[in-house]
Amino acid sequence: MPEKKISNNETPSSEKVRVGVYTCHCGGNISHVVQCERVAKMLGKMPDVVIARTDPSFCSDSGQAVIEQDIKELGINRVVIGACAPSLHEQTFRNTVTRAGLNPYLYHHVGIREQDSWVHPNDPEGATDKAIRLMAAGLAKARLLTPLDPIRLKAEKHTLVIGGGVAGLRAALDIAHQGIRVTLVEKSPFLGGRMPQLESVFPTDEEARQLLNKLIQEVTAEESIKIITQAEVTGLSGYVGNYNISLTQHSRGVDGVTTEALMAACTQETPDEFNYNLTQRKVIYQPYPGCYPPTPAVDWEHYDGKPLQVNGKPFHLKDEPHNIELTVGAIVMATGFDPYEPRQGEYGYDQIPEVVTLPQLIRILSRIPKGEPLTWNGHAVRDLVLIHCVGSRELDGVNQPQADGQVNNYCSRVCCTASLHTAIDMRQRFPNLNIYELYQDIRTYGRGHEEIYRRAQNAMVRFVRYHGTELPEVLPAPAGDTHPVLVRVKDYLTRGKEIEMGVDMVVLAVGMMPRQIDDLVKMLKISRGTDRFLLEAHPKLRPVEMSVRGIVLAGTAQGPMNIQESLSAASAAAAKVAVLLGQGQVELPPFVARVDESKCNGTGACVEACREEGAIAMQTFKENGREIRRAVITPANCTGCGACVGACPNRAIDVQAWTLGQYEAMVDAITMEIPAILENVS
Amino acid sequence: MSSNVTEKQPKILVLATLAGGYAGADSTGQVHSDYPANTYILPVLCPVMFPPEFFVRAFERGIDGIIIMYSGTDSPFKVEADGTAALVNSTYGLMKERNIDIRRLRLAAICTVCVKPFLKEINQMNDLLKGIGFVKSELSIRAQV
Repeated sequence: MPEKKISNNETPSSEKVRVGVYTCHCGGNISHVVQCERVAKMLGKMPDVVIARTDPSFCSDSGQAVIEQDIKELGINRVVIGACAPSLHEQTFRNTVTRAGLNPYLYHHVGIREQDSWVHPNDPEGATDKAIRLMAAGLAKARLLTPLDPIRLKAEKHTLVIGGGVAGLRAALDIAHQGIRVTLVEKSPFLGGRMPQLESVFPTDEEARQLLNKLIQEVTAEESIKIITQAEVTGLSGYVGNYNISLTQHSRGVDGVTTEALMAACTQETPDEFNYNLTQRKVIYQPYPGCYPPTPAVDWEHYDGKPLQVNGKPFHLKDEPHNIELTVGAIVMATGFDPYEPRQGEYGYDQIPEVVTLPQLIRILSRIPKGEPLTWNGHAVRDLVLIHCVGSRELDGVNQPQADGQVNNYCSRVCCTASLHTAIDMRQRFPNLNIYELYQDIRTYGRGHEEIYRRAQNAMVRFVRYHGTELPEVLPAPAGDTHPVLVRVKDYLTRGKEIEMGVDMVVLAVGMMPRQIDDLVKMLKISRGTDRFLLEAHPKLRPVEMSVRGIVLAGTAQGPMNIQESLSAASAAAAKVAVLLGQGQVELPPFVARVDESKCNGTGACVEACREEGAIAMQTFKENGREIRRAVITPANCTGCGACVGACPNRAIDVQAWTLGQYEAMVDAITMEIPAILENVS
Repeated sequence: MSSNVTEKQPKILVLATLAGGYAGADSTGQVHSDYPANTYILPVLCPVMFPPEFFVRAFERGIDGIIIMYSGTDSPFKVEADGTAALVNSTYGLMKERNIDIRRLRLAAICTVCVKPFLKEINQMNDLLKGIGFVKSELSIRAQV
């Protein structure tokens, strides 16, 4: 990218600085605390300010039009906007000033909502004073801004999709349809994620596996999608458009010739996670008939390493992990969720055999042939209780915290409809079964879901409403009782009446938990929300993008979603990837180091301080017959950390748009006494 | 005008990384947690860009306390974790030379959702400044000594 020479005082040219200052009311979010008119009046008196305005909402079309008009009609060449957090609308206003013909980097955004009005609601005077100083600091910086061009780099038209569940599959297919290559990496040996563990899915009652198999067939038929199972991301470097990825893939452990013999010879068993550990399976396994890939795989985590006896000879299974290197332009995070695992003793789980989770119940039901009665733990099930919100909507001080000290205070959204859907299915299959749903609130929010609630009511499913502060109790029934389990609950549909019911089975409608992907989160430098799910850049403006450019979210990695929502999110993520990589190049912000040639005398301190490979080097130039050593930046390799800035003894190097001089000017504005500011103006 | 009131408050400058402390400050705002208005948060890409002289200059201009809220080992920049720690150590040396109480500069790792740690740092610095007073008073007294 072209280097722009600047003079020592950092003003870009002889062009007179003309600043427009805009203080947003944010629909009252700011103006209910900060006196915006006073901020505008004060800023309007400061040097170089041509116009200072307020508006109910500068991010609205009409608000942006005002700024555009000022740039065009008043010759504004620097813009300062005080509004919500820069992460929300900085890009909006960069586009605004660009439309008006101004370089997008001649605009500075000051956050006076999240960091002022929202945190000082009881101190309007202090908040207003703070807004004035922060805006003055923004003005001080804006005066020193220089026009910059984004760095344009070739982007690899290749995407890595992490996760082979329904969201990852959908995203991979949609991206491939846009002419972009996809590598889909799945940690387990088989595709499909959680979906094949379900039977029929709401609201259409279609068979989950049929739907999934259709999707897998489409994905596997697509030549531009490469599927790598039993593999994990183990290394990452680079940036949007050019991420270098290292994958480690484990051996499948069986080959076509010996597969059947090996499976027959394998006697070692381990709990079957496909059936939520209700059953056992061999360590050479297929999770279910019709899975993809159809070849069985060795469960290396549980394999005891002992040789198998095949045709009377010992046969050693061997895992030989190998590395795969890729370069991709974008990454789709489709890492999915895990069902909440109740603690031992939580509602009797893992202590009373009749207590199971809803996912376990679905697996139990799948194993009962049509027409057969529901039995569990050796007895017929006549009365069954479903408890909602287990591991969801938890309250501090009521629910026991997780290992990390937090309670799951979010709603998992899917479990209400899933519970009702399963209850209807059971009432149809086992007409004599009495079902009681113990709930806090019924949240059947999707299209067709309320109908499921009504169907459950019509099917004589009975409802008991409890409060989150008074959780139901699940106890072993006293000896001689007609039922093995006793449930106590205070029912607020009958004004808090204490109910005791003997039941044969208790089902915990567990919520969704974020997956344990700490290593991946750290490697990709991505953010998680307070609920520990992956966090989008903005819930409304950038709902499937992460704050790290080129990384997008698909499905329940982001939070609880049903299958329909996961598919929508996956398609949205694919669309974002297509837009990003479709042109074959990406733009990076120009926040990279820049050397002031007039000050650099070749100490090399910057090169010593830099940790980025190939970002900065000393080069020898000939000037007026003399050899001169100077630092030279390679913008594509510079991350803009500024290690070189702090190291340079001559202040000959700066990060563009984040210069030391700008920070000094901002500090001066913050510390300047307000009356002095006004005196300076006069 | 509140300035007469607020001028009497010590000023805290927070240099907060976009990947950590600045987002943490935004999260604090999103949950509407209250803290004193004498806190001025400036976004930074990575704090290693500041030489020790920058901090001393800020104190001399009237910033009473500075908190560097960085991203620690979660930073997108390789140099941030140990580079910032080294920077703070160097700055402490310079502050001692200039007779500035080194407690006025703190380093804290703040993540994007670190609301409680963010508030704790702000409150601790405010408590400290109540005890040790304005930096300009400190500088003038020590200059006289």
